[in-house]
Amino acid sequence: MGKHFFKVAGHIFSVEICDELLSQMDNYTPFAVNPVDNPIFSLAVQNEQAPRYTEETRQEEENQSIICGKTDDGLAVFDFFLYGKSTGILICSKNFKQANLYLNQDGIFAKEQTDIHSENWQHTRFALNNSLMVLYSLATATLGTVLFHAVGIKYNGRGYLFLGKSGTGKSTHARLWLKYNEGSELFNDDNPVVRLFKNENGTIHAKTYGTPWSGKTPCYKNVEMELGGFTLLSQAPFNKISPLKKISAYAALKTSISGMRWDKNIADGLHQTENGLAANIPVWYLECLPDGGAAKLCRETIVSNE
Amino acid sequence: MKIKKGFVLRDVCGEQVIMGEGIGALDFGRLLCLNETAAWIWKQAEKLGDFTIESLAEKLCDEYDVSEEQAKADIAAIVGEWEKVNVIE
Repeated sequence: MGKHFFKVAGHIFSVEICDELLSQMDNYTPFAVNPVDNPIFSLAVQNEQAPRYTEETRQEEENQSIICGKTDDGLAVFDFFLYGKSTGILICSKNFKQANLYLNQDGIFAKEQTDIHSENWQHTRFALNNSLMVLYSLATATLGTVLFHAVGIKYNGRGYLFLGKSGTGKSTHARLWLKYNEGSELFNDDNPVVRLFKNENGTIHAKTYGTPWSGKTPCYKNVEMELGGFTLLSQAPFNKISPLKKISAYAALKTSISGMRWDKNIADGLHQTENGLAANIPVWYLECLPDGGAAKLCRETIVSNE
Repeated sequence: MKIKKGFVLRDVCGEQVIMGEGIGALDFGRLLCLNETAAWIWKQAEKLGDFTIESLAEKLCDEYDVSEEQAKADIAAIVGEWEKVNVIE
């Protein structure tokens, strides 16, 4: 077992993991850094049976679900399911700074697993990626940092995030930017990070960052740029874009961030960041067709508006 | 009556808004905007923990220049709305 350190959007965390497993996690390679004394959280991967837990709530989406619960000792538990099968159980310390991920998969360490596309490896990657996303969100909530469910495009040096429920066509719209808006670049396809900063003169600005988490698309870019704005997408038989202000902007942002607010500090921290973003960063609502016209209309509106 | 676990009142860009945050409130999926008086009543309900229309009406009479009868009617209307959208029990 070796301890490895990674820096995502300026925050460093550590993962204790065997080399064989680490070699399967190449999405983290661009984020590797030298060891530090105070990572924001530390995860250790265990090949053991997880302690018992009691379910409290669950979040379901398409083929995945997360069951949340408590151990008998009152520690927070996250059980990550893919296609109805448990892939790994994450157990966190009281302050979420230390955690163990129990893989408990028959044979994953016993047998030689050379096929990286095998179901076991797919499950292991799923459990590890989800564990790190949960821990990262919790550890950075009070640091003006938010992990979004969004697709990130870089254009003219700025980052633009597309929001919307799964299946709305965020990725499709981003692909249309690549095709019709010359100079666009995809920097993350599922989970970019946003950080809010206060300038010395009291004004607020935000940056967006690539991460090791990018859904089904391998796009693990360690990049950062000024955040140009958010666009909430909705399917329609026409193309139309309008600004969202105040509460509507807040609502659009909130639905694109994990709903799990584990304690008051975390809930307060996320709310403050969401509120700061809603009040200071442009948020748009794009009703659109999956066509080039939508990508052009969106770019002309959200880029020229600055 | 009491406020359901997981529901909180927050300031969103200067407006008073009820939202679901904790376990049990995750499926709420919407934001409920309150005017100034309704927000004040919500805060009293939070402080009381267990509340009735009468106990909230009493608070309202202490704070605002309103008859007991009017206060009860106003509270009943607001509490009725909260019951309808399932944020109290």
